[in-house]
Amino acid sequence: MAKNVLHELPALVEAGVISEEVAGRIRQYYQQREPSHRLFTVFSMLGALLAGLGVILLVAHNWDELTRLVKTGLVFLLLLTGQAACLYVRLRKPGSTSWRESAAAFLFLAVGASIALISQIYHIPGNLTAFILTWMLLCLPLVYTMPSSVVSMLYIIGITCYACERSYWSYPSATAYLYWGLLLGVVPYYYALCRRKADSPLTALHHWLVPLSVVTALGTLSRTTEELMMVAYMSLFALLYLAGNIPFLKEQKTANNGYLVTGAAGTLILLLILSFHGFWQHWHEQDFAPARLFGSVEFVAAFVLSLLAGVFLYRLYRDKPWYTIDPAAYVFILFAATFALGVSSAGAAILLVNLLVLLLGTYTVVQGAGRQDLKLLNYGLLIILVLAVCRFFDTDLSFALRGSLFVLAGTGFFLINYSMFRKIKANKS
Amino acid sequence: MINRKLSLSMLVAVFLVQLYVPASMIAEREEILNTGKAYKFKTAPVDPNDPFRGKYIALQFAENEFFAGPKQAWQYNEPVYVHLSADAEGCATIQGVSREAPGEDTTYIKAAIDHALDNGLIGIAYPFDRYYLEESKAYEAEESYRASLPNTTQTTYALVMIKAGDAVLKDVMIGDVSIKEVVEKNRREQDSP
Repeated sequence: MAKNVLHELPALVEAGVISEEVAGRIRQYYQQREPSHRLFTVFSMLGALLAGLGVILLVAHNWDELTRLVKTGLVFLLLLTGQAACLYVRLRKPGSTSWRESAAAFLFLAVGASIALISQIYHIPGNLTAFILTWMLLCLPLVYTMPSSVVSMLYIIGITCYACERSYWSYPSATAYLYWGLLLGVVPYYYALCRRKADSPLTALHHWLVPLSVVTALGTLSRTTEELMMVAYMSLFALLYLAGNIPFLKEQKTANNGYLVTGAAGTLILLLILSFHGFWQHWHEQDFAPARLFGSVEFVAAFVLSLLAGVFLYRLYRDKPWYTIDPAAYVFILFAATFALGVSSAGAAILLVNLLVLLLGTYTVVQGAGRQDLKLLNYGLLIILVLAVCRFFDTDLSFALRGSLFVLAGTGFFLINYSMFRKIKANKS
Repeated sequence: MINRKLSLSMLVAVFLVQLYVPASMIAEREEILNTGKAYKFKTAPVDPNDPFRGKYIALQFAENEFFAGPKQAWQYNEPVYVHLSADAEGCATIQGVSREAPGEDTTYIKAAIDHALDNGLIGIAYPFDRYYLEESKAYEAEESYRASLPNTTQTTYALVMIKAGDAVLKDVMIGDVSIKEVVEKNRREQDSP
């Protein structure tokens, strides 16, 4: 960036855009500015992570030549090396992010390698779930005592793997309720990070990891009435979308606002999946006893998430007229009603879900046109296009009619873009 | 300053916990290995792997079912105390199962229910079903086991040390020779002209 600016200076002076004096001051500014440590921070963290992962792989080789005593000694050598590095950083380099994060990341992986080594030496069976849980519990305090954002992120990834291993990847599976408690363990740190280092890239990574982890783990609650998870997921995506709209996150770049993107994309993908008749046919044919349905963990999840999203919606938009609110924020309410309707009529539910997608697409197109934002406009058109493509595969309409509709949609796509482009150009000139 | 001291002492406390947990795991198992009673469990090994702990041979035991009677409704994964005795060859046989720990005069293992049938037959999941090996040896160990099958005079068994309900797998043997040594011996034989 600095190189580019300095390279452009002579041309800018020659064109009379800036004076020689200003050019001189710009040169002086870049010469005096301290070199950026960001790259060093990233590479040192990567180095520590790679070294730690290397140690785990070396441990996994299981060296037969080493006696039990030597291997036991290695357990403590690994731990003490990591701990010594952390202590050194805390005492001698307290202000250095790169040192702190690298040492903490190494210790995090060293703890994992040590437990793995003990399992090997004594042939402890323990499945992967117990292994990851022990590892995460031993490392959670590091998040606060170092303090370390990298360990916090590794911890979030670790507890997500724990939930997946316990519920998705093991047979017979069990519900990973503990995941939610483990997630709460890192919340105070995340909150403090948002307050103190709102613009840090590590904070932005947290804004992605947390929603993705929650989205991954919510499905682990699914047991015998998994159909209700559709409502739970829709409300979760609404909650994430609304969270992404609180002023603190709204001010961030879209690429850093994982809540907003996950919420919007999740809502849309789920609606598109449910715009096919398969799920609704199945849901319509179900005959659940009310006690079983309302007493299920899936119902509790759906209820709690819908309630939370409702409270969030009210707090964020209470002063705005309803028709100005983005439908992605309240689509979960309409979906819950559609879901209830689906019990008696699958056809009506399918029609309503299609209309919900159309509503989202149209609102986005209108917003894009109003703000003269080509990206937003095309995003809205894309939503409508994807819906049309989905209908391409399962509708009963004739080929001729579908063909005509697609030609019309394509032409509309082109014409709307062209007129918008002309409008923007006219405004600029 | 006080804050820094407090935070440093908390960090040191975390370090101590991180050291204590593996140390207690090691001490507990060393105690069983040194002072426990040895039992043989007839077994059939196969080699899968674990992303963190490397290659191992998964052990399935011949003595893994017991008729507990239809009156006791056992659930999957429920803890169970398995009462053991040794036959003439020193191999473990199940004498009974209970939900409470038996007296000190009975040798027993804390295990879990693997499956339970309506007729009262239960399957036992022992707490020692993995034997970790150097990565290149796991497959060869499985091959050695297969090769030993036609020889009916050889039994393959897991040597397990048991003390007060806890167990540590010490070795896996093919005909009284450690499976690691069998693999090494086979390698030497293949290398020699």
